[in-house]
Amino acid sequence: MRQWVPLGLRALTMIGVFFVVLLMLVLTLGLTGFSDRILSSVVGEQIRVERTALAETIRDPDELERVLNERRAALEAFYGLDTPWYYRLPGAVFRVLRLDLGEARSLRSFDGSSRIIDIVLERLPNTMLLMTTSLVIVAVLGLALGLFVATRPGTWLDRAVSGFAAVTYAIPTWWIGILLILVLSVQWRLLPSGGMYSTPPPTEPWPRFWDLARHALLPVLSMVLVSVGPYVYAVRTITLNIAQEDFVAMARAKGLPERRVRNVHILRVAAPPIVTGLIFGLAGSLSGSILIETVFNWQGMGRLYYDALAGTPDEGVIVALTFMFTLMYVGIRLLLEVVYIFLDPRVSYAG
Amino acid sequence: MRLSQVGRALRSSALGLAGLSLLSGQIILSLFVVATFPPDFGLRFWSNPVQWVDNPKASPPAWTRRLRSAPQVRHWSETRRDPVGHEIRGRTILTDYLMTYDLEADAWPSFLALTVTDVQFAERAPLLGLTLIRPDETRISLLRHAVQGPREEEEGPFARHVEDPLRIQISADASVVSFLQEFLAEEYQLAWNEADIKSQALAIMFGVPDETGAAFKPLRGRYAFLFQTATRNETDAVGSVQLVVGGDAYGFMGTDSIGRDLSQGLLYGLPVALLIGLTVSVLSTAIGTALGIASGYLGGTTDIVIQRLSDIVANIPVLPLLIFLLFIIGPNLGVIMGILIAFSWPGLAIQVRVMVLHMRSSQLIEAIQSLGSSRARVMFRHILPQIMPYFLAQIIFTAPSAILAEAGLSFLGLGDPAIPTWGQILEAGFRTGGVYVGYWWWIIPPGLLIVLVALTFMLISLAIEPAVNPRLQPAQRR
Repeated sequence: MRQWVPLGLRALTMIGVFFVVLLMLVLTLGLTGFSDRILSSVVGEQIRVERTALAETIRDPDELERVLNERRAALEAFYGLDTPWYYRLPGAVFRVLRLDLGEARSLRSFDGSSRIIDIVLERLPNTMLLMTTSLVIVAVLGLALGLFVATRPGTWLDRAVSGFAAVTYAIPTWWIGILLILVLSVQWRLLPSGGMYSTPPPTEPWPRFWDLARHALLPVLSMVLVSVGPYVYAVRTITLNIAQEDFVAMARAKGLPERRVRNVHILRVAAPPIVTGLIFGLAGSLSGSILIETVFNWQGMGRLYYDALAGTPDEGVIVALTFMFTLMYVGIRLLLEVVYIFLDPRVSYAG
Repeated sequence: MRLSQVGRALRSSALGLAGLSLLSGQIILSLFVVATFPPDFGLRFWSNPVQWVDNPKASPPAWTRRLRSAPQVRHWSETRRDPVGHEIRGRTILTDYLMTYDLEADAWPSFLALTVTDVQFAERAPLLGLTLIRPDETRISLLRHAVQGPREEEEGPFARHVEDPLRIQISADASVVSFLQEFLAEEYQLAWNEADIKSQALAIMFGVPDETGAAFKPLRGRYAFLFQTATRNETDAVGSVQLVVGGDAYGFMGTDSIGRDLSQGLLYGLPVALLIGLTVSVLSTAIGTALGIASGYLGGTTDIVIQRLSDIVANIPVLPLLIFLLFIIGPNLGVIMGILIAFSWPGLAIQVRVMVLHMRSSQLIEAIQSLGSSRARVMFRHILPQIMPYFLAQIIFTAPSAILAEAGLSFLGLGDPAIPTWGQILEAGFRTGGVYVGYWWWIIPPGLLIVLVALTFMLISLAIEPAVNPRLQPAQRR
């Protein structure tokens, strides 16, 4: 059971990450007076509604003002506006935790709900779909190509892979996406330039799936193009380094077949750092997906950022999105850590 | 491992040399830009549409005219300060300004605009007029404009359009329609309605009726613009007269949809990109190295605190948090760089700590310690110099990611409006739909420049990596 201890430590770090982000969200909102402004506008809106209602029954203007001022004071006390922001901090943390962020200003969910939690949650699967698809393709392709190249160090293929990795490291994913749109959908009209389904969307399951795949092809392609190179290079370098260790030479000297040496002696040892490489690539692929969704109008949480930032900004949605992305990142990280534990039972985090 | 070894590795590799020459070229160009561009270029020029009204909108670069077979009209702009002659008619002084323009292609200009500045008069407001003399010797009167006269209780001499130049988009001016109607009736006996004339104003000015008489075809040759002022006093004068014939190709890099000269924005983006890359990488590397040395050498609680902290900061998904913080605090380049610095150090702190742990147990450091050196002295005089080459390599290695991060944020619309960057140019091209109508000159160059600068640092980084990281040497030597 010793292997679960480091996993527990990792989990603690991740929970730490989670709460640090949460605290930064709430602190920033409080310190900059942003939450005050949001709450004041909520109170102001409510008073405006009540004024029209009360004006029907209370005719005397002075009396009306007095009643409204009382109501305003009561509402401000209810929302905690009469106390400094840090007294509201615990409440704010819990509200963010429950994604209870009220209503969005102008954004709506696909079925018309204006509750922020509805808008964000219905986009979550779309983001997961795009991210996991490209992550899996990068992992499989990177592993296969990296191992293949590692058997041929110094060849033109090896040099080409290193060059490709260096060049793609310097390319913004989203710009590749724009270029693909410019060439493949605007110039040659081969693929759709954005969105998730054609209009009108097909209703039959299979045509619907193909339609989705056609729309996902360019975004996934841009993400894979940019992240696969560095990963292939990492797999190749890790494998090459291990292949030079003494125990591999020993295995060869024993007369073991090359295939067995590679699969058992090299790969078993190379697997954990290769997974670590994937873990470190995760943060990059998360940022990549936010920008790629924006470019391809993919109806995920990343595109929602762009929509919430444009025009009249929707603060609540932006808070919710930042929180959800952190949650998603922490979740996938932990999942990969479990994979790591299973790959190498002797895993130890000691420096 | 010494710094001189890093220098040697850099000079001896082709990649390193390529990277170094690219970087020095970029630095020279940046210095040129910093020296020649005004410091408030962003707000006063780039983000100010008034500066760009006389440019054709969304035009490809001028050199594409040679590549394409379709006829293209050259963009033309000329300013006159001195008149060609005077004529006194009664009590009025007529002053003439003359400019000539050659139409060389079988196509129409995209607009015709007149700008007059600094009108001075002593008593009566001058009258301004513009006449077009065409290659076939026909004349079209295009403008009659009276400068605003003395206001109540205003004392002469009077000055008009000093700060705000008088700009008339002649091809879209309402009064030009009646002038053209008159011209069509007299010259070609054509009776067109006003809507048709308005939509084809440029074709009528720069063309002749084709065989059918229902449409116009371009008339090539030399056009002369005669600008005339009618004034009363001898001291009355006009500061400058500018005429612009809008082409459909512009400059070296073309223009965007509000007519901004893209080559200027692209040039300005270079020092900004280098500034972002180097500032963020130098500061975050310095923080990471300092914390790593402290963590590794001091050990104990300091070590635990620094390592836990780096572990947490290293795992925070930066982009969502950056978007949030910038949204709340407001788009500002300093804030962007500050946040990037605050989140880029942990990986290095962890790596440096491991290196310092090895060094601390070395005989050299133990000997120095036993001689009674203070801990600060050991860290600064003996450990830091050994880390230096690695420190340099990290600066070079971190720079591209800072440049890419800023570009990504600008692309989401969170760029600093006072400082135009390549990411912001791309954002404008994307938001206004330039991508979907194929304005490649707006989309490809800024992205290529981002890649070029990032790649320059990558090349240098690749060249010095074997010298800094000995573990990689055998693998690369094969």
